[in-house]
Amino acid sequence: MPDILAGLGLAPGIVHWMVLTAALFAVGLYGILTRRSAVGVLMAVELLLNSAALSFVVFNHFRMPALVDGQVMAVFVIAVAAAEVVVGMAVFVALYRVSHTVDLNRLDRLKNDEVKP
Amino acid sequence: MCMLPELIVVATALTVLVADLFLSERRRVVLALLTLVGLAAALAALLAAPAGSLFGGRFSVDEVAIWFKVVFLLASFLTVCLSLDQLDGRVKVRVRGIGLRGEYYAVLLSTLVGAMFLVSARDLVTLYVSLELATIPLFALAAWKRSDAGSQEAGLKYVVMGALASAFLLYGFSLLFGLAGSTDLAAIAAAVRPSPALFLALALVTTGIGFKLTLVPFHMWAGDVYEGAPLPVIAYLSVASKAVGLAVMFQIFYRVLGHMVKDLGPLLAFLAAATMTLGNTVAIVQRSIKRFMAFSAISQAGYIVMGFLGPDAGGVPAMLFYMLAYVAANMAVFGVIIFYANATGRERIEEYRGLARTNPLLALAMMLALFSLAGIPPLSGFVGKFFLFSIASKAGFHWLVAVAAVNSTISLYYYLRIVRQMYIEPVYPEAARLPVTPTLAATVAVTTVASLVLGLVPVFYEVIHNQTIEWLAKLVG
Repeated sequence: MPDILAGLGLAPGIVHWMVLTAALFAVGLYGILTRRSAVGVLMAVELLLNSAALSFVVFNHFRMPALVDGQVMAVFVIAVAAAEVVVGMAVFVALYRVSHTVDLNRLDRLKNDEVKP
Repeated sequence: MCMLPELIVVATALTVLVADLFLSERRRVVLALLTLVGLAAALAALLAAPAGSLFGGRFSVDEVAIWFKVVFLLASFLTVCLSLDQLDGRVKVRVRGIGLRGEYYAVLLSTLVGAMFLVSARDLVTLYVSLELATIPLFALAAWKRSDAGSQEAGLKYVVMGALASAFLLYGFSLLFGLAGSTDLAAIAAAVRPSPALFLALALVTTGIGFKLTLVPFHMWAGDVYEGAPLPVIAYLSVASKAVGLAVMFQIFYRVLGHMVKDLGPLLAFLAAATMTLGNTVAIVQRSIKRFMAFSAISQAGYIVMGFLGPDAGGVPAMLFYMLAYVAANMAVFGVIIFYANATGRERIEEYRGLARTNPLLALAMMLALFSLAGIPPLSGFVGKFFLFSIASKAGFHWLVAVAAVNSTISLYYYLRIVRQMYIEPVYPEAARLPVTPTLAATVAVTTVASLVLGLVPVFYEVIHNQTIEWLAKLVG
């Protein structure tokens, strides 16, 4: 498929790919800011990390096609993202056990407790 | 063999985890001892091992890395000393839902390993993975009180904010990689030129670092996490986790951007001024001592960042010395906070009233440590601040020095709020002398004496200065 596109002069260049990673990053950021469920936020975090991983692969492909540094980094990012999600989900499950909710709008137990003047 | 200290810590973590399986609940008290022995051995190996590098220069130990590792190891050692009473149940007021001693020490040691690898990393891949290793276990530690909703909420907030910050950092790293075409930090340093893309990468990376170092405006998580997490974990977060942030900042601002760090002065000065001002003004009105320490720690981060200003290489030893002084003073304060919480369960500032009547020595230690944090001579905090302020002044940021001096005065006011409660306010009726466990007493004593001695005896600063003053010049070349 890429060969056909390249033959037609339509192969995506580095700018297209960078726009894609930036768009993924923006979508992830939007998800973090708007999701009410903590699990949804974790999915948005996955988007953010994967956009960065994709960006590593793209740069590797266009800047230094003979080497694999960017691909290696992407593999590590995937592994680290998995670890992050596992710990995050473990915390969410433990939280659900004690407070029966993972709705971020209702988690307001910790807040400023100020001296009244 | 310059990786020996890290290997000892990894081996200790695994040994503790496996030993935890085979020991009965009563015998698990030895796990803390095992951890302490491992940490002491790692510290000895660190001081005995020469500087060097491994894996084709991907892992390298230099003078600055050694001092950072000393800070990490000391902070972890003190954290274990402060944790073991709560975890073993040698307390009057039990902390709800804390337990799983073996896992606790193993997780604590894994974040320490991440921190130690981080300062030796010479590669984006190693840097990122070890930073995550230093961060992710802390999410679990913040939520360690399993049946306590506050601790779980702190864990959740820390996970969400931590993951967001790490994503920003990673995207910034990918841009650096794209600009330089290499993951090697030295190669990136040689390849990058000032360009809009570099500034975007720098902004993203600063966000990630600001989260670890609690720089304003990336400090949002600190208040809530400090309030909910278990006390020994906060002690670790406020000291070691902040040192991790500083280490990443050394890696990026000195190792990668060393030749243009002096042009970033205005940005860093703004971050420093905002951080110390916000931390100090918000700390004034806090009632919970945990939240109070969160904002106190934020303001301290503001002072530390001043060391990056200017063309002067003296910032490197000044920041390292301040970090050491801060470890000593902050751990002494947390020692007394943990002692008081263990004995009475009280965690509000006004509940410290009369502590000087019941436990005069501990109150004295707390007062000295708070004065060191505020920067009163002759304590180490004053000496550290003096060097940092002089760096900023030499770089021409006189307004920042003025802001910092005003901030020190504000901080003295709110640290004195605790001293007033301890020394002036009437004691609780029927209050008696509170018992102190030997480990806690020893920890508080050692850290208090250390924050005095570091300030009085100049030899410590001289050693750090002589070893690290050439470091930046070698790097920038």
